[in-house]
Amino acid sequence: MTAFEARVAGRPTQGPAGWSIAWVDRSEGIARATNGETSVLLLVEGSGQEWWVTIRGRRIGVEVRSWRERVLAEAETSAQVAGGPVTVAATLPGLIVTVAVSVGDEVEAGATLLTIEAMKMQNEVRAPRSGRVSEVSVSSGQAVATGAPLLRLE
Amino acid sequence: MSLRTDTDRPPFDRVLIANRGEIAVRVIRACRDLGISPIAVHSDADADSLHVRAADGSERIGPPAAAESYLSIDAVIDAALRSRAAAVHPGYGFLSENAAFARAVESAGLTFIGPPPATLEALGNKLAARRAAESAGVPIVPGTTVALGDDTSALEKIGFPVMLKAAAGGGGRGMRRVDAMTDVADSIAAARREAEAAFGDGTIYVERVVRPARHVEVQLLGDRHGALAVLGERDCSIQRRHQKLVEESPSPAVTPEIRTALFESARRVARTVDFHNAATVEFLLDADGHHYFLEMNTRLQVEHGVTELVSGLDLVAWQIRVAAGEALPPAVLEPSLGGHAIEVRIYAEDPYAGFRPTAGRIEAWRMPGGPGVRVDTATEARTDLRTEYDPLLAKVMVHAADRSAAVARLRRALDETLIGGLQTDSAFLRWLTDSTPFVSGAYDTGFIDEHWGSGPDLSELDRGLAAAAALEGRRSDGAHAGWTAIPDPSSGWGSAARRDALRR
Repeated sequence: MTAFEARVAGRPTQGPAGWSIAWVDRSEGIARATNGETSVLLLVEGSGQEWWVTIRGRRIGVEVRSWRERVLAEAETSAQVAGGPVTVAATLPGLIVTVAVSVGDEVEAGATLLTIEAMKMQNEVRAPRSGRVSEVSVSSGQAVATGAPLLRLE
Repeated sequence: MSLRTDTDRPPFDRVLIANRGEIAVRVIRACRDLGISPIAVHSDADADSLHVRAADGSERIGPPAAAESYLSIDAVIDAALRSRAAAVHPGYGFLSENAAFARAVESAGLTFIGPPPATLEALGNKLAARRAAESAGVPIVPGTTVALGDDTSALEKIGFPVMLKAAAGGGGRGMRRVDAMTDVADSIAAARREAEAAFGDGTIYVERVVRPARHVEVQLLGDRHGALAVLGERDCSIQRRHQKLVEESPSPAVTPEIRTALFESARRVARTVDFHNAATVEFLLDADGHHYFLEMNTRLQVEHGVTELVSGLDLVAWQIRVAAGEALPPAVLEPSLGGHAIEVRIYAEDPYAGFRPTAGRIEAWRMPGGPGVRVDTATEARTDLRTEYDPLLAKVMVHAADRSAAVARLRRALDETLIGGLQTDSAFLRWLTDSTPFVSGAYDTGFIDEHWGSGPDLSELDRGLAAAAALEGRRSDGAHAGWTAIPDPSSGWGSAARRDALRR
């Protein structure tokens, strides 16, 4: 049987001692965990290496990898160069209300770059790090989908 | 009390429901209880939505954007005429408090299931409503009773912090808190811009921030013959972005003396206008038990179910019946309120990220049931979230003999609730049922900022259970059943990996 490692937020995590898990409905991903005194219902979603477990409403991402998968993933990560250009993408779908910067502007980390209105709320998109704006891909009034590139920082 | 007997004629043969989602489904159910044929409307985004399938028929009213469909007066009136409905129920939100819409319904020869258009107009202007309430002898939140102009000296007299509010606003929109004179110019500009964008009217007024305060509202129901029923209060103090997440009745902060005063104020506000149908008068309640009028909402509230649970009355059915001219009977005018009810709103929002809306697909969807639990929803498993509309997924309501039993029942109901595919605020709601201020009833509108923030850190137990469950998920082949003991942590990942590698 293949051995797997589980990581939560990048940290290898063991199951708590004294607890056991049983499926309530495997096809729906519903399980119950108990320590003999108390129990909690869990929702288990995912496949392959990516899993999500919801406990009392909180959705927790879990990476489940075999030793082989882990070695491959780590090789891939180290190949990526740190500190290169960053593309700022929309984290939610909505309407661009204002664009506060233009190409060539130097911005500090946390500076407001633009505002997206989604579901009655105005959301400020802030700079993930300091840098120079090298490209602005959207203008006010434009609708954007989740993941749409908004601008680029160098 | 039964809603109808076999000898009763339905108040209307056919009613058009000018809304979507859970409230459309809720109104459809009331129609069916009354023997009325319910007709839905839908935008192109909702052609397959539950509210469409639940109705006897549905009329297309336009493309997905609400402004071109659910907010289009012409499209909705056309749909009503096409469907040969006799009356229109607007639900909440969208056109429900739009006087022009109510007038258009009446001009088309149909009945608007709501207060008279002139009443919507009078109370839709929150500033005018403040003046009317004040002249009726009802205490209002200290602040301005005229539109805020360029002279901002009034703000200093009121005293910071203050709240800027849109005269055309409501539901928490167009509100902005200002803590000091130095922020005033920017905040006013932003508040005007938001109000202009949301309501087409940038008029702003100012209220002092009452804190600590509780948000308590009184449910009214009136008939066309001048009778007015006061159906208890609801406490809606658990809010984020000035919008409600949790409502309960009765309010743990309201004593019999406060209740008498609140009800009297609510009646006085209602008497400033020609009122019938359902409405809610909202107040702030300060730490000394003084109440201040905020606004009167001339429609069914999202949280009406809480009042239905403690009163045993169907508010939507009564809206329809009084719209048809029926007089309110003694059972409604002197309701017997019993037990304690709590509602929590499940939103597609991440409580660990400032309750920011989440996008995506609802994968799993399991709602609670059993004694004393009611769920109003139109959400289904394996559906994409519509980002064009309100992110409310469901309202989970509980009713029990007293408050502590209701809190326990809510905890149980939320434990049964399983939602997959995206993060919802149910994590906050479940946490709330264990938090001391909520369990004891001693909370105010600052609760989320003070006690939740961005939520507690993930506990080691939950982290471990998530890891164990995910491992179990990956290991199981679908035919798996029975209890699996979690392996002893001392067995070590390293040695298992080495064994694994050797076998390959």
